Amino acid sequence: MTLSPDDDFAAAEFALGTLEPAGRARLAARRLREPELDAAIHVWEARLAALSEATPPIEPPVDLLPAIEARIRAAAPPPAADGVVALQKRVARWRAAAIGATGIAAALAIGFIGREATRASAPKEFVAILQKSADSPAFVASINLAKGELSVRPVAAPPQVGKSYELWIIEPKLGPPRSLGVIDAAGVTRGPRLAAFDRSVVEDATYAVTVEPEGGSPDGKPSGPPVFVGKLVPVEP
Amino acid sequence: MSTAKETPRATEAKAASDDLAALLARVATRDTAAFAALYRATHAVLYGVVARILTRGDASSEALQEAYVRIWEKAGEFDPARGSPLGWMATIARNRALDEVRRVRPTSLEEMPDGFEPAAETVEPLAARARSERLAALLACLGNLDADKREAVLLAYYHGFSREALARRFGAPTATIKTWLRRSLMQLRDCLES
Repeated sequence: MTLSPDDDFAAAEFALGTLEPAGRARLAARRLREPELDAAIHVWEARLAALSEATPPIEPPVDLLPAIEARIRAAAPPPAADGVVALQKRVARWRAAAIGATGIAAALAIGFIGREATRASAPKEFVAILQKSADSPAFVASINLAKGELSVRPVAAPPQVGKSYELWIIEPKLGPPRSLGVIDAAGVTRGPRLAAFDRSVVEDATYAVTVEPEGGSPDGKPSGPPVFVGKLVPVEP
Repeated sequence: MSTAKETPRATEAKAASDDLAALLARVATRDTAAFAALYRATHAVLYGVVARILTRGDASSEALQEAYVRIWEKAGEFDPARGSPLGWMATIARNRALDEVRRVRPTSLEEMPDGFEPAAETVEPLAARARSERLAALLACLGNLDADKREAVLLAYYHGFSREALARRFGAPTATIKTWLRRSLMQLRDCLES
């Protein structure tokens, strides 16, 4: 880490919440471009988070669960509508979601977009950065929608002895997570091709990696919670 | 820096924490029943977090709703190695509240009715609620700070006091508060890592 003491203090104050509105907004913008700063904010948040456990509970005036569930349903992807226009709209939506969700993922993805775009000019390329935390991408999944092809390459995933990484596609329409196969040493998955899934499902899904017994999950279900997750970000030709 | 033995309460707290982690893992697979259970188990603490910062009931309800939508979206990103499930969720809720209070109009002291000031948090009552080793360690380190500086950190954490609000509270220039915060936070970091 080469974060300066001033930036570490800024990260600490961001996590504590003492920055004035302009300072907070400035740092919120900077963390989108500066992975180390973003990571430092997460570290500070984790340091202080234990205090929240001691927060005396307060019951909200009304039960907010129904309203929250309604928001979640409203945010769910609309029924599949194929076609270029629908796709482009979704692309815009992903952009916003990716930037809003994790700044680092977006920052990394932009880097990858540049690289991928010069490498392959295929029209419907997507990448997903599968990561555990903002500072440690572990796999990069590249997806070519036109060909229904998927390749996964490790970036910083520690090798597993006697275990296998398995890639899953998670999407409400599919029900439980569905396996996309075991990621072998070369970083490629075997198993069903993405073409088996509806295009909108592939585009909107969350991709997750679990650690499974060698050779993959014995019963077709994830054996534990995901260790790495990510969403697709489009690669513009 | 950790307590020597697991108390029965710590064991109980760990079991509860494991339950929350299991619920979060199910939420990551879009399990709506698990989400409802997670809400019921945690909403009062999370409301406590946002309501202390926002003070207005409607803003608190809004922040809580946004926080849970975000928890639904990000459940798969929870990493047990980085902290407790409740701490992770509370951080999301707290950030929603802070974004709100630092966005439009600082709700801090100037909008509070005259004569209303939040009571200072002190370490002792907090310690009575200490459940996890992480919290015990953090409180021990906070205990090493001067009383004023500790109070400043706790007012910021629990009530969302900005530098300006702390300056008014302590009758000190903002620059002095910044210096306090810097020393306090670095001291906390070093203490937690020792």
